Amino acid sequence: MVERREALAKMFSAKGSKINTNRGTEYYDSLMQTMTKRLNELEQTEVATKNSIANVLEAEGLDRRDFMKWASATCAALMLPSNFTPLIAKAAELMNRVPVIWLELQDCAGNSEAILRSDAPTIDELILEVISLEFNETIMAAAGHQAEEHLEEAMHTFKGKYLCVVEGSIPTGMNGFYGTIGAKGETFEEHLLHVAKDAAAMVAVGTCATFGGVPAAAPNPTNAVGVQDIVKGKPIINIPACPANPSNITGTILHFVLTGQIPELDHLNRPKFAFGYRIHDNCERRAHFDAGEFVEEWGDEGAKNNFCLYKMGCKGPMTFNNCSIVRYNEGVNWPIGSGHGCIGCSEPQFWDKYAQERPMADTHFKAPTGGVEKTVDEFGLGLLTAAGIGIGIHAAASAIAGKKEECKEGAE
Amino acid sequence: MIKLIEKIEGEATLDFNFKDEKIEFVDIKFNSTRGVENILKGKNALDALVINPRVCGICGHAHLIATVKALESCYKDIKISKKAEIIRELTLNFELIHNHFKWFYLTLFPLFGFKQEVLKASYASQLMGKAIATFGGQYPHTSYAVVGGVVCDVTSMDIVKIHSYIDETIKFFEKNVIDVDVEKFILCDNVDMALNSEGDLPKILKEIYEKEWLELGKSYDRFIVFGGNSYFKSGKSHKTRVSKKLPFEYVKEEKNKSSYAKNVSFKDKYYEVGPLSRAMLKKIPLIKDSHRRYGDSILSRILARVCEMAQLLNHSKALLKELDISEASYIEPQVDISKISASGVGAVEAARGSLIHKVELEEGKIKNYEIITPTQWNLAGGSRENQGISQKAMVGLKDEKIAELVFKTFDVCSVCTTH
Repeated sequence: MVERREALAKMFSAKGSKINTNRGTEYYDSLMQTMTKRLNELEQTEVATKNSIANVLEAEGLDRRDFMKWASATCAALMLPSNFTPLIAKAAELMNRVPVIWLELQDCAGNSEAILRSDAPTIDELILEVISLEFNETIMAAAGHQAEEHLEEAMHTFKGKYLCVVEGSIPTGMNGFYGTIGAKGETFEEHLLHVAKDAAAMVAVGTCATFGGVPAAAPNPTNAVGVQDIVKGKPIINIPACPANPSNITGTILHFVLTGQIPELDHLNRPKFAFGYRIHDNCERRAHFDAGEFVEEWGDEGAKNNFCLYKMGCKGPMTFNNCSIVRYNEGVNWPIGSGHGCIGCSEPQFWDKYAQERPMADTHFKAPTGGVEKTVDEFGLGLLTAAGIGIGIHAAASAIAGKKEECKEGAE
Repeated sequence: MIKLIEKIEGEATLDFNFKDEKIEFVDIKFNSTRGVENILKGKNALDALVINPRVCGICGHAHLIATVKALESCYKDIKISKKAEIIRELTLNFELIHNHFKWFYLTLFPLFGFKQEVLKASYASQLMGKAIATFGGQYPHTSYAVVGGVVCDVTSMDIVKIHSYIDETIKFFEKNVIDVDVEKFILCDNVDMALNSEGDLPKILKEIYEKEWLELGKSYDRFIVFGGNSYFKSGKSHKTRVSKKLPFEYVKEEKNKSSYAKNVSFKDKYYEVGPLSRAMLKKIPLIKDSHRRYGDSILSRILARVCEMAQLLNHSKALLKELDISEASYIEPQVDISKISASGVGAVEAARGSLIHKVELEEGKIKNYEIITPTQWNLAGGSRENQGISQKAMVGLKDEKIAELVFKTFDVCSVCTTH
């Protein structure tokens, strides 16, 4: 138990999970030059699909103003200063130069569902689905041999340029025969390696593709693993959570369009712009935690007053993700908003360690920044300080640079 | 002879065997599995509430409700407030409507040679997704239902929001799909009347008439519904003969040698599940008329699914009016789950038909868990002598394209079939 506890403490306090949101003028100037150069180069290349953002927006009755509003919000989400907004807009227009091939392996289609069908038609969704999605098994009309030909053709045409998005884990037990695909009966592992070979980078979407997810829950009957355990020698970006937040997927792809590189990652290969936040630090119920006001039982007075869910097993203090800021279903709600508490779905092994109603107070896990031990009643107000960032949603929209540094110092 | 390998939502293959240029037998195989039932064994009972919605990203909400019902049925005496019951039912309705829209515009449209209408499909389904998220926190994969009730404490503000999501969906449905008022459409008892407008549904129906596909896709004319609630009626029927008794012990799962999906039958007979079955048991006037004329053909099946959107939208509005937010969301069970050793069953109606969860608990730990999904009923791969529902519906067809159409009117989905 001690070992496990130490390992967890190490994981959460790793340097990799800290983010720096102000890197100075010099850094941003050179970044802007790199991005401008990259976009100019992209502009010269051939388009992958015929759709253009202008046509799509027009068909949807959205105007340029809506689009620019989206661009400025995305700019903030990617932790870039506001003068990068025009570049973001241009990158979105050029997204049809960077095709995306979306594979579904041992999955429940929940991530496709989240991004492609539940959260539409926002500009995020339009950009990904209409502009750059070259191949996706769930939504495309083609099937069987026809789909396979289409995949081969896309891989050939965009050799070395496409992003390979993977949803679902890879079963390695029984020589991979827990999952086969297509006419040739390839195993998922073979199929993944085949498509990965000519990809520019891999994007593992959802907790199954990143860490094995629910299929890898004890006793892991099919010996399921994530993409990073199979694909070697390719840049891999992990976007965990169950389901992964659509805006993080679009953000990552956009970053790739902008720079030709993968975004800055933490020690679990997650983009820092999305996973540099700890749920607890930005939680709308955080003030109740600090005030020692907790839900003690489902449906009690605390629950009616939106008190802190820590005692009901909320894993917000040990989970890194931006859902307390971005929320789900176009910002309508998120799990803590519905009164359930976080289950830590973007962390490795959440399915075995953090599942239903196992309050951290009853476990021997140590929370990331120290302070949370034994029972919540034993520590005083505000012992849990911000993990290094204290970003509010209002701050994200304004110029981020500068302000963040003060915030950080203040918190520590 | 293997003629074609077909992929459906998720992954499965169909081998068409032809004789005298007609389909003689279709072999249905599911090629992957995750072993979720094995994962659940030995875990704490309440962990199922987190793991099970993740069995399926398409109908995960139905899995959550089936799980919570199965666990609650292990108690001798458990109280659930009316408020919690209504919220659970509403979110389930929203998920059904959400799925039907996607099936209509993404799956059915291209089969009739029309362009896939991604934006139409997603506009309506995102509204329903938002409505679910308002109660459940997010969609897909919510875990807001717990043993004893629900965790959300809705406010009048939330109710107003959900009202507007429903109204907006109804408006969209009226304008695009049926081109008449929903209330008029629900009362309609004549297929000819449903044809006389400009909407997307009449567009599809006209195609069926023009191409003379009226007799297409008939199966055994046997229907079954397990998940009765304030709207759906449980029972089984053969043609129009209805019986109400459905003891679970007659539901039998059987391993299939060539597939990871198990076949499921009731008293050794295959039954169709889904909107057509629900409409037959509920005796929906329009579907009754269609069934009287064309039996369990694709026309009845398509009409039933679209008609269900209208019924559920209307019913959800009425349910929402009954919701009393001053009631308790959660009533604490008298016995802690760690003291319970019993077995239970939870059945709900998911978009594609009846979903059944069976659980056996030993001192609050899961000893055994069994998930029986709707597609296991409709896509059961029977033998040549005793064919499954969808297999039977495809026999005798000459064209694979038409067979695909027949197959997809069941709104097949392999995602949770391969749990």
